[in-house]
Amino acid sequence: MSVAIPQFGVNHNSRTENTMSELAIQLTDVSLSYQGFTALDCVSFDVAAGQTMALLGHNGAGKSSLIKIILGLIPPTSGSVQILGQNAQLSQARNSVCLGYLPEDASFYDKLTGYEVLRYFAALKGVTQRRVESLIEEFGLEYAQHRQLKTYSKGMKQRLGVAQAILSEPKVLLLDEPTVGLDPQASQFLYGKINQLKLAGCAVVISTHELSLVESHLDRALIMAKGKRVALGSCAELRSASTLKTCIDFSELSERVKTNAYLQQFYQDGLLQIAASQKSEIVQHLVSQCQIFDFDIKEPRLEDIYHDLMGQALCSSVEQL
Amino acid sequence: MQMNRLKSPILIIAHKEICDSSRNRWLSFMGSIFLLLSLSVSFAGSAVTGSLYLPELDSLMSSLSTISVFIIPLAAILLCYDSFVGEEEAGTLLLLLSYPLTRSQIIFGKLLGHITVMLTATGLAFGLTAALLLLVGEQYNGAELVAAFAQFLLSSNLLALTFILLSYIVSLKCTEKAKAIGCLLLLWFLFVLIYDLLLLTLLVSDFSFANQFLINVLIAMSPTDLYRAINLVAIEGEGATGSLAMIATTDWGLPAMYGLFLLWIVSLTLISHRIFKRKPL
Repeated sequence: MSVAIPQFGVNHNSRTENTMSELAIQLTDVSLSYQGFTALDCVSFDVAAGQTMALLGHNGAGKSSLIKIILGLIPPTSGSVQILGQNAQLSQARNSVCLGYLPEDASFYDKLTGYEVLRYFAALKGVTQRRVESLIEEFGLEYAQHRQLKTYSKGMKQRLGVAQAILSEPKVLLLDEPTVGLDPQASQFLYGKINQLKLAGCAVVISTHELSLVESHLDRALIMAKGKRVALGSCAELRSASTLKTCIDFSELSERVKTNAYLQQFYQDGLLQIAASQKSEIVQHLVSQCQIFDFDIKEPRLEDIYHDLMGQALCSSVEQL
Repeated sequence: MQMNRLKSPILIIAHKEICDSSRNRWLSFMGSIFLLLSLSVSFAGSAVTGSLYLPELDSLMSSLSTISVFIIPLAAILLCYDSFVGEEEAGTLLLLLSYPLTRSQIIFGKLLGHITVMLTATGLAFGLTAALLLLVGEQYNGAELVAAFAQFLLSSNLLALTFILLSYIVSLKCTEKAKAIGCLLLLWFLFVLIYDLLLLTLLVSDFSFANQFLINVLIAMSPTDLYRAINLVAIEGEGATGSLAMIATTDWGLPAMYGLFLLWIVSLTLISHRIFKRKPL
């Protein structure tokens, strides 16, 4: 199966740029097969320090396998995995302190208190008690730190989970569905923390299905389907790769179109529908030629791009069968 | 002891397991059961004969081991059945493995924690019983009583260790906690009830092929029968009555039987470690 969708982010220029800005994660042609099933098929990508990458894909797309490979927990069948410049498998123990991980829907030890749970994980990573106390304060769990975890709400548990993941001030942070089941305020709080870490130079990989939440916080997104890389790039690059159009609307659009042959070619369903690459040209035309300064530009959302790219990938895989 | 002062991952994991067991009241509950059991056998066991008196040391140890052979494996199973499958279901096993820990450290940390919990529960319960017997039982020789209880505690905890390791193996193999407890209860039923019963049947049936060597092998193949044999040999079979006394006829000495117990423990440790190492994530 192969997917005929433009692949972004691994071109020569971006590779050179990333190498210069210190690659935290680098996967090259990684494949994983077991019992005749191909979980990952020649996946390549890299994440630089201070970059956030969203890992998107349907259930069973290979996201969790990819995270386990980055953690050094399972060896790839082929390909190479470099974490902070070292082989992920060979230096798993050494890298573990520099890696932060929040598993999906983790349920920590219910009988222990929040403070005890964090102290346990801190002790295993050789992190000081002062850091534990400061994280508890930072994540607003001071009032509940001596309560058993079974009394915690989902949001409190998730905050504790993220605090656990950043105990050792990691250089690579892997978050598996960090916002599932959280209210908007709690999700916002978590993304705020993630942005702070990113600014401090941490490479963050977020596996999520909540595309609307992650959209404004990511630098790049890797879309996967059936173990293959469907697309990789920034939101703008993914938008260009999709067949979705950017829509422009303003008052009296229908009237203006009648007298403007240039705009007429883009007019469809009451809107100007243009390719992402034509956006600046049209905007310039509207401002300079038509003297229109008040208009709405509706870019396709990440969710729409995702569905479009996934649709193309799945269609092409069906055609290949 | 403060967890952050501990440096060894094995000690940190052991400390957490002890905290967990004391927090979910397993330690106090099982400690109370053991205490109630040993006090009843020691001080009220003679009631079935129509009068109340303190039993001879031999028959007391025989009675205690006869009841403990059922309870101790069960306690070990209940303590450890979810050691790995529980962590896997909760997502913390994957998290632990992402930490700078080896799988051996995780197994040995849990093992140290769980055996400490068992030692504490049995030590407090049987130790308190021994202390009370020393206080009120004038007929007992202090040194003999202490030696008998120490031997009983040692063998009981070796039996517990065997079932803790069996629980680890099942917990590593199963994908659900419910399946793990089901499998372990089946194992308990087979080892403690069925195998024991079949062995005793063989002993009393006097089959021509059932020579002493075969009986020794059959005893060695079950940790519960090994436990019975150790405790019967330790009291020289004097306190045992009926078919149980026949187990004491094994011609192994105590050191050989303890050696066999250790062999069980080493083998189960190696098996559980191997399974953990190969466990797909």
